[in-house]
Amino acid sequence: MHAITLRSPQALAPVRRGFLRQNLPYFLIAPSVIMLLALIAYPLLFALKSSFYFWNLQVGPQPLAFVGFDNYVQALNAFDFRAALTNTLILSILGAAIEFSLGLAIALVLLKSLPGMNVVRALLILPTTIAPIVVGFLFRYLYDPGGGLVTWVLRSLSLPLPAEGILGSPSTALAAILFVDIWQWTPFFAIVLYASLLAVPDEIIEAARLDRASAWTILMRIKLPLIRRTAIIIVMLRFMQIFNTFDTVLVLTRGGPGTSTRTLGYSLYEQGLVNFNVGLVSAQTWIAVLIVNIIVALYVFFAFRNEEW
Amino acid sequence: MNSRTTFYTALTYAAGLLFLAVFIGPILWFLALAIRPAETAFAMPPQLTFEPTFDAFRHILVDPGTNAPQLVNSLIVAIGAVLLNLPFSVPAAYALSRFKMRGKKNIMLWYLGLLMAPPIAFLIPYFVLITRVGLQGSYLSMVLVLQTLTIPFSVWLMKSFIDEVPAELEEAARVDGARWDTIMWRITLPIVRPGIIVTSMFAFVFAWNNAAFPLVLSSRSTATLPIGTLGYFATSGVTWNYIAAAAVLAMIPPMIIFLVFDRYVVRGLTFGSVKG
Repeated sequence: MHAITLRSPQALAPVRRGFLRQNLPYFLIAPSVIMLLALIAYPLLFALKSSFYFWNLQVGPQPLAFVGFDNYVQALNAFDFRAALTNTLILSILGAAIEFSLGLAIALVLLKSLPGMNVVRALLILPTTIAPIVVGFLFRYLYDPGGGLVTWVLRSLSLPLPAEGILGSPSTALAAILFVDIWQWTPFFAIVLYASLLAVPDEIIEAARLDRASAWTILMRIKLPLIRRTAIIIVMLRFMQIFNTFDTVLVLTRGGPGTSTRTLGYSLYEQGLVNFNVGLVSAQTWIAVLIVNIIVALYVFFAFRNEEW
Repeated sequence: MNSRTTFYTALTYAAGLLFLAVFIGPILWFLALAIRPAETAFAMPPQLTFEPTFDAFRHILVDPGTNAPQLVNSLIVAIGAVLLNLPFSVPAAYALSRFKMRGKKNIMLWYLGLLMAPPIAFLIPYFVLITRVGLQGSYLSMVLVLQTLTIPFSVWLMKSFIDEVPAELEEAARVDGARWDTIMWRITLPIVRPGIIVTSMFAFVFAWNNAAFPLVLSSRSTATLPIGTLGYFATSGVTWNYIAAAAVLAMIPPMIIFLVFDRYVVRGLTFGSVKG
């Protein structure tokens, strides 16, 4: 974003002598790439092959029959998998959008540098540091229908609560999961946006004020465009992470009631690690990998089109 | 100070307090759960005063039966993940920062793209793979597969730290006839030592907080803290104060690390792509 670079990488290009010398940077990168390929290629190829077989570990240790695209058809036709796809898209799109907007609003408040606000800013990051599975337990406690703090507060405000509890009713469960994600990750957006807004030069803002630009115009026309690259990257990272969430769902609702909070991550967990349906879960994996890759590739293509690296 | 400014100041502080109540309040309430008598956990209205008891921590740490080494296991796995991570990611970050090369943007995006893979979907293949090479239930199996998360992350973060070392320093050494490896070991790496520490700390937190891999790859004797909380959840009914005590133990190290490395938090959370 701010284009001050102290280095000049070109100046250090290796001396053109010998094969090793010439390809030095590639040799330095190679170990990490080989390690990652070894770790990532096996699962992907394993899943690709298994996705064409009927293979359930509860039935037998080996794949039973080659079934072509049957697993894919079965996955895409299954009501619960389609529900998982829909829920996941709702969670990741709404989650990333709400967290970004709320985070931006909080960042703008933090920017009013009053004494003590530094402490607020430093503490605010804490939800983000907690393991998702622990956050799951934290909110299971807060949502508990028999005396959880959230339940108590909402009841004290005499808001209508479902008798089955917040997590027990299909009408509120997905919103409750979304709220957990927002609680954990809004601070992350707030801190990152705050830090990048700090770097926007005061002179530009002053000049705009003299031109009688409103606070809203300054935000939309000056501040946001200047922190564009940061915003693009954190929204993308967050989208990808929510897309794969399963720990919180596992602890909070196990995808229920019905399929109301089923997510792709949880579906993969259930088919793979509870039902041991290796063939079907492999097909689901490839569907998930393709969807998230297409979305992110489109996003990266449009967002980074004019970026220099 | 006119009344308008006073009003806005008051409003800002009110907003700050609201943020703390919403984002920190629940954490404090959960901490209290770990030390409150079990019968007051779900009192309505919430019981704010209680006689603190450390029975849950005693149960988890001193008298844990089969759950003894979870805290130790978490430490071994997280530190192991950091140690294995550095020799792979530091040279890669150095190359990406210092050399001009074709396909650099693609390589950077490829590292980032690895984080799109759903970890859950990889668990069965990893389980099969790890069993085939005879590493099931070992610390090494968890430390190895955690690299899919920590290497891409560390490369990005380390690159941003190395980017900041002035090229002139290396330039000068090169003029004096130093080889690139001498320059890397004797000049660049010592200067970016704080960057290596911060990167290690973040990799530690990633490994520490990860529940997916130990869920399948750990055995009873190598289970980490997150698996421990799941255990208290699944077996003896829901023993809330044990869960809370184990969860608090799991929460503390990452919190301390983030507060201590406050200055670097932004850079770490955005993989170094934003200079914080």
